Amino acid sequence: MKNKIVLMCLFLLQLGQGVAQNRFPKPDFESGYKYPEIHYAVSHEDLLVIVDIFLLVLLMGIVSWAVIKKRTRKPIIWVSVISVAYFGFFRHGCVCSIGSIQNIALALVDSTYVLPLSVLLFFILPVLFAFLFGRVFCAGVCPFGALQELVHIKSYKLPRTLSIILGMIPWIYLIFALLYAITRTSFIICHFDPFVGFFRLGGDIGMILFGAVLLILALFVGRPFCRFMCPYGALLSLFSSVSIWKIRLTDKSCINCELCHNACPVDAIRPPYTNKVNESRERGVKRLLNYFVLLPLMILCGAFLMRLVSNELSRSNKDVRLYEMVMQHETNPGEVLSVELEAFYGQGGVINELAEKAEKVQSDYNFYATIAGILIGLVIGITLIELSVKRTRKLYEIDHAACVGCARCFSYCPQYKIGNESGNTSL
Amino acid sequence: MEQKIENKNENKNSPIARRKFLRVLGTAVAGGSILAISGGLISRAKGSEVSHYWQIDPQKCTQCGRCETECVLQVSAVKCIHANKVCGYCDLCGGYYRSNVKELNTAAENLMCPTGAIQRKFVEDPYFEYSIDESLCNGCGKCVKGCSSFGNGSLYLQIKRDLCKDCNECAIATACPSNAITRVSLDKPYKLKDE
Amino acid sequence: MNKLILRNIAIISALFIVTFSTMLITNYFQVRGTTPLQTEVVETLKQLNDENNGNPALQEQIRQLDLLARKAYFVRIDHLMVGVYILLGMLAVFLVSARLYFVRDKNIPLKAIDQMDEWIIKSKARKYVGWIASGIAAIALIFVVLSSPYLTTTEAAPKTEEGATAAILPETENEPEQINPTDSSAIETAEADSSKLPADSVSKQIPVSKITHNAFRGNNSNGITSAKGVPVKWDLGGGTHIAWKHDIPRSGFNSPVINGNKVFISGADEKARELYCYDLTTGEQLWTLAAVNIPGSPFKMPETTEDTGLAASTVATNGKQVCAIFASGDLICADMEGKKLWAKNLGMPDNHYGYASSLLSFGNLLIVQYDNQNSPKVIALDMATGAERWSKSRKEKVTWSSPIIAYVNNKPQLVLMGNPAITAYNPNNGEQLWRVECLSGEVGSSACSSNGVVYGASEYATLVAINATDGTVLWEANDYLPEVSSPVATKDFVYLATSYGTVASYDSKTGKLGKVHDFSGSQFYSSPIIAEGKIFLFSNDGKMHVFSADAEFKLLQSFETGENTFATPAFTDNKIVVRTEKSIYCVTAN
Repeated sequence: MKNKIVLMCLFLLQLGQGVAQNRFPKPDFESGYKYPEIHYAVSHEDLLVIVDIFLLVLLMGIVSWAVIKKRTRKPIIWVSVISVAYFGFFRHGCVCSIGSIQNIALALVDSTYVLPLSVLLFFILPVLFAFLFGRVFCAGVCPFGALQELVHIKSYKLPRTLSIILGMIPWIYLIFALLYAITRTSFIICHFDPFVGFFRLGGDIGMILFGAVLLILALFVGRPFCRFMCPYGALLSLFSSVSIWKIRLTDKSCINCELCHNACPVDAIRPPYTNKVNESRERGVKRLLNYFVLLPLMILCGAFLMRLVSNELSRSNKDVRLYEMVMQHETNPGEVLSVELEAFYGQGGVINELAEKAEKVQSDYNFYATIAGILIGLVIGITLIELSVKRTRKLYEIDHAACVGCARCFSYCPQYKIGNESGNTSL
Repeated sequence: MEQKIENKNENKNSPIARRKFLRVLGTAVAGGSILAISGGLISRAKGSEVSHYWQIDPQKCTQCGRCETECVLQVSAVKCIHANKVCGYCDLCGGYYRSNVKELNTAAENLMCPTGAIQRKFVEDPYFEYSIDESLCNGCGKCVKGCSSFGNGSLYLQIKRDLCKDCNECAIATACPSNAITRVSLDKPYKLKDE
Repeated sequence: MNKLILRNIAIISALFIVTFSTMLITNYFQVRGTTPLQTEVVETLKQLNDENNGNPALQEQIRQLDLLARKAYFVRIDHLMVGVYILLGMLAVFLVSARLYFVRDKNIPLKAIDQMDEWIIKSKARKYVGWIASGIAAIALIFVVLSSPYLTTTEAAPKTEEGATAAILPETENEPEQINPTDSSAIETAEADSSKLPADSVSKQIPVSKITHNAFRGNNSNGITSAKGVPVKWDLGGGTHIAWKHDIPRSGFNSPVINGNKVFISGADEKARELYCYDLTTGEQLWTLAAVNIPGSPFKMPETTEDTGLAASTVATNGKQVCAIFASGDLICADMEGKKLWAKNLGMPDNHYGYASSLLSFGNLLIVQYDNQNSPKVIALDMATGAERWSKSRKEKVTWSSPIIAYVNNKPQLVLMGNPAITAYNPNNGEQLWRVECLSGEVGSSACSSNGVVYGASEYATLVAINATDGTVLWEANDYLPEVSSPVATKDFVYLATSYGTVASYDSKTGKLGKVHDFSGSQFYSSPIIAEGKIFLFSNDGKMHVFSADAEFKLLQSFETGENTFATPAFTDNKIVVRTEKSIYCVTAN
């Protein structure tokens, strides 16, 4: 049977036109030589995937229990250690939830794209938990968050203005990641992953250095990657802000002592605010209305600009790039062929087909980049509107969109100590 | 996005009841969208395999040498694989010797492989068996080029499953000039030449 | 006390981490920078060894160095990995000690860190967001303006980079020749060497070149080929560098065409009209297909002159199908194995010398320039089925010129010479793009293009350079003009050969006449082809002239091949296929 297959293979090889293989006949061994049996090693990936998902659910469950029910930080640290060790150093951070956004987006627009079940689960489970309990995934299950959490030794607060502005980056990053994923250009989240090289103990030196800078920052600033880069965190914040069970600062009555606010590494606790600004209500309302009028304009502007640059953006697509190279070559055929062109002509590539493909990609870019522009306009517009709203608060409150559930604030609360004897539980 | 707008709306006017209503609405929308996405995709994901492996199509490979340099690993997960059943067991092996070798011995000046990963064993006159020491191979593909140019093409590059990190997007695949790297299904983890 | 120890541990480990990681990074770049084991020294020594056969001392030196390089490489990699583990360990020490040091700080109430009014913060942030948004928009706008096609004067930058990388590749390779490793010439030289060795019986089979020559004057009929390792000297009589030679059953002035390992050519006389296929490597005639049983085919062949004949049109292929047309208007198409796919008669062309325009393949389209007296037109047919895709009638008189494809701003243009105009069409739908009336008389030569400029020339008319973006005439010249031979152009020069023995070069920017070679007594009907920066040109008496395709325009070679040659040769890697008056032969580099 096996011989037959080999023969078939040889036959097919001979058929393969243009590939002059099988120049030498199969030797007839007289010494009774046997072909060596070679076994190609395969890792037990399917088993590991099941462990991954089991651990994901288990760790998120532990964090939820610790944050919502038990109100303690200790388990979260252990979850972080396990996550960094397992998802990070053992599993090398692939496939991670952050990157899975791209697979999901591609699967939504392209029905031929094969979406592994594990990727879907890695995407949807943290979202589901965020919807139920807040960003418990970020708290310590995500190896990136956990790594930064473990590294964080002392908290210095960034100016709030700066963190508001930097807080827009994840949204824009998310929009571009979706654009590049949908057009099958590249998975930029995976390519510009700062910590994966750290977990793999090797990789692109540029990204490792960037990751090192982020980690050094994370020593003193709470979770710079999660707050100012992570597109998945941005997505989760949508769900956590309307989550069913919410993290509370204290079980008892708040005494407005400010300790929790100072303890929060991600600046997610809003101090009480009473309007002291000497401004008429009409002016405030008018400003707000102005921004509402401006919103559609911004959307239009974003759409217009992105449409303009869409052709340039499409050049990062492989097919478009190859098409340009082929066109360059056809205009000036005398030049030496590059590796890409040699492969293209060598495989009998038809320029018309390539042109069709490239044009398809370009029209995709025109369409999706316009949508991306709309979304960018929306993000900026909404940020501006949010910034022109005055809200009165009597007590310290958690901003559930920003809170990553690290549970630091609990032990700082003077009211917490009344119920719990253990003062120095957390590191 | 929708929820964000609603959150903003909710901030706009202070009446507690209104805010509560919007919050419930937001929750409903969020829950609904989770259901919609998972419902829409789970039917697709169910039919497909759990995971997919990156593999090189040896017929498409042009041995450009990028496998060696583009892999995220320090030493590439792409290794040279030898299909013994396709091999001609030649004495003068285009993959083993440099292109204009003078003497057919194992001296350094005659060998093609930069890391010395190809081993040669005498079988019987005039046949020699070649094998790859995987721990030395760096996937540069020089021998593959030699073999497919002069020989039967029994040497070829392939991604080793036990070494590959199974990145969400293979870095070599994006750099491959001939689009030879694609995902294969779980039950066929290797694209081999001799099977 | 405890705290002090912790602090010191943290500081020391931090210092260690910083110095150690800098060391690691430098080490990393050292490892990365060198191609693992192929150090330059060893490579040059290996080359030396190749040149002077078997010097034991040299070989010993190579072996020593090779061993050293290997050791160094693997030791370095080991060091790097050990270093990374040490670094990780120290990182853990630092983190634990630092955390323990800071853990007691937490209960100290820090008052009034952020006492700023929230509204002021928001107003400030709003202002900044506005600034940044408009800044990004401005940058995007500037980007758009800068990258607009009107400003891109030279897009050559990325390409030269490409060329450079491609040029660097062979150097890193260990072949002693200057050849790119994918190039089959390297393979062939190696095989030539190996065939000398008694140790093995190397078969003479050679990987098929990827360079095709799909139509008259190459792909796109533009007179330029990217073939490498092209032979520059051969002798038909002595047989040096001649792979094979055959007589062609029936005569014709059409030129050979190469795709993969197959050579196509056609021939015709009063009795039959045939398409032939030869094996490029062995020269064996693989198949013949006759144009018979075609509905509408004329019973009697048209009158043609001696120097045109019934098969003046070169065949065209796209790698899947091959088509041939004859002066009777018979058009046949076969697959690569010689199976007839379709045939039709386009109507007897009214042409006083005989129909002579060559076919052109453009993807799956076959372009037929059918300028005759009664209904001049250009037709595009599906090569697989023969179905008409589009057809345009032309306002031209009878011509013998052939269509070309010119790439202009990444778009293909189908350029046809006629009397009185040069016209460009969109090859996909036949839409006319521009038309320049500048020719007269009997137009026999075809156009050529380079860098978005189309050059057309005809005897008793003019040499004209047309900006193919909009169809404006850049310059005209009429010092020397071709009659049958077609011009060829590089970025800087246009070269042409006349039917009275002159080969001239013109500056492609200004039209200024450059260097001229005079071969009085010779005639040029065959067209020049540029390969590897050299111009290859046959004169009718079978003399091969090789010029350098640069400003110097030097005559590099000039030799008799021995047979009258009117057709234009076809090129692929290491090989040239030539049709002479009676025969077809293949020249190889070794």
